[in-house]
Amino acid sequence: MSDAHRTESQSANPFGWIDGSLVSLCLASILVVFIGGLVQVSLGAFSMSLAEAWQAVFDPAVVSNPGVWMSLLLGGGLPDLTKQTLVVWTIRVPRVFVAILVGANLAVSGAIFQAITRNELASPFILGVSSGAGLAILLTLVVFSGLSAFLPILAALGGATAFAIVYAIAWKNGTSPVRLVLAGVVVGTVFQSLQTGLFFFADDLGVVQSALAWTTGSLTGTDWEQVRTALPWSILAIFLALAGSRQLNVLLLGEQTARSLGMSIEKVRFALAGVAVLAAAASIAVAGIVGFVGLVVPHLVRNIVGSDYKRLILGCVFAGPALMVVADVGARLLLSPSQLPVGVVTGLVGGPYFLYLMRKQQQLGEV
Amino acid sequence: MMSGMESERDAAADGQTTDASEAQTEEVAMAAPDAAASESDVTRESSETESALVGDKLSLSYPTSDGPVVECDRIDIPRGEVTALVGPNGSGKSTLLKSLAKQLSPDEGHVYLDGQKLSEYDDGAFARELGLLSQEHDSPGSITVEKLVSHGRYPHRGFFEQLDEDDQQAIDRAIDLAGVDHLRDRQVSSLSGGQRQLVWIAMVLAQDTDVLLLDEPTTYLDLHHQLRVLETVRQLNEERGVTVAVVLHDIAQAARFADYLIAMQDGSVYDWGPPTDVVTEELLADVFRVDATVTYTPDPSILPNRSL
Repeated sequence: MSDAHRTESQSANPFGWIDGSLVSLCLASILVVFIGGLVQVSLGAFSMSLAEAWQAVFDPAVVSNPGVWMSLLLGGGLPDLTKQTLVVWTIRVPRVFVAILVGANLAVSGAIFQAITRNELASPFILGVSSGAGLAILLTLVVFSGLSAFLPILAALGGATAFAIVYAIAWKNGTSPVRLVLAGVVVGTVFQSLQTGLFFFADDLGVVQSALAWTTGSLTGTDWEQVRTALPWSILAIFLALAGSRQLNVLLLGEQTARSLGMSIEKVRFALAGVAVLAAAASIAVAGIVGFVGLVVPHLVRNIVGSDYKRLILGCVFAGPALMVVADVGARLLLSPSQLPVGVVTGLVGGPYFLYLMRKQQQLGEV
Repeated sequence: MMSGMESERDAAADGQTTDASEAQTEEVAMAAPDAAASESDVTRESSETESALVGDKLSLSYPTSDGPVVECDRIDIPRGEVTALVGPNGSGKSTLLKSLAKQLSPDEGHVYLDGQKLSEYDDGAFARELGLLSQEHDSPGSITVEKLVSHGRYPHRGFFEQLDEDDQQAIDRAIDLAGVDHLRDRQVSSLSGGQRQLVWIAMVLAQDTDVLLLDEPTTYLDLHHQLRVLETVRQLNEERGVTVAVVLHDIAQAARFADYLIAMQDGSVYDWGPPTDVVTEELLADVFRVDATVTYTPDPSILPNRSL
């Protein structure tokens, strides 16, 4: 019987959900990240020829030396390297890595928020999480500068607090997408004001500049330190998001159906929101508030791989970095030698793309 | 879209009746329950089937309504039978069904499934015992029929579990029973309303429960698909002994299809019993405000004459 055959083929292949469109998306994204990364490491203020730069990237003294990788990823001294290799590997490469992590986190976070609010316009930014985390970062930098070692945790808590407040405001015998978005606007506005107000208490110009970089979203000056900060949280968040993809799929069937299938909706929604907050906060902690990535990338990926969340999340993990790395190339090199905040570029690229999606598709955001 | 409109209308109607029902509750409480209670007692004693679901002294309301929408002393869904809830718009039948399905917790009273209070059931365990097909359901932008049906296995799967052989068998059986095998790999969004409803029923069937509640599964379907839906439910009941409670709009259809009828009016149970007892010209006049001729052949068939 064909049923028996189907059963066998399905249970025998746990990766049956990975289809052609997802594989092509991932490969294309990797290619874009790779090319963007090579451009990024080749060009810059420290002049070196393209050949020199590429040599430095593939310098066997780094690439094939686990000791160097360990000290880069875990912190520690580096052995003697050529000047080119040092510039590439301590300044330019980590920046690409941070862009990859930030892109993946924001895209995954946005995808999750779109499912749990059942609203295609939801993103970490719109639901106040980013401004909450941003406020926490500013408080840490300006008021409690002694706590800056705990910045990622504080950012995560700030994001979680903002979302909890949005949730509490939106809650009236359950939440609804419209209420959540409106509450997000309320909380976002207030937190944004508080954040702006805090600038007045910064007496040091350096603090103001660094705070501005945070709130506009910038990868300038990111280092292995930032990679070390974001990597564990990113891995955890992406793993949890993939593990929760079936819950997200069931949530898409509507609240009533999900509940009648035995899902403890509020618990699941809360847990998944926690994962999304974690991802968003991890990216904010290293790059500040980078807009639009969390909104646009899930749409782009959904257009290509469909609305199954397992595929969507995995697609976001690859496509998010692609957008982010390319945007950062623009941010760093467009007006060289001065650098734009990457958040400006993502908005400039993401906005028109979103408009294109809106025009092209009849039913944009059928999540 | 259609079902969305329907529910809004229903909700609006529910809202309207709350005011009226408060005034009428007393009147009804004096007249109807005595008659209904005595009659249902008789039926209960004479039939050997016990009840799968029992609602006891229920008072149901929505947060937005300013008074109980449904008040009923006792409601029984007999095990292994098909019970239809009928009544005009806003009579509270969907509300009652929601409370039986643990979607709405009663302000007062309790619902019992197999003698155990619903509030004592864990969400997952409950979903393995009782399936509900809601009036509204959204399907995501792109999802195949088989994938949608496979979500019916949700309560049977652990957090990290893949679909196993049992799950796949239940999915195949459900798709078979609902007669949507030929649609298996189609996108749900590309199906007609009737086909889609059958697919959703397949999803609930994959849940593999002993009790199945359906909220207006035939509304807005053409006659062919109405019958397909009802035949699927009947087959499930006969072959697997599943207890069914279904809200139906069409009393004539309910009378032909169900073993028992629960007729609702203004948030309370007007009458309860086999269709031949319940469906009378008096009921149609009182509850549905229709002047109709009822002939028994032996099933009651209804010829509506005019509205009252």
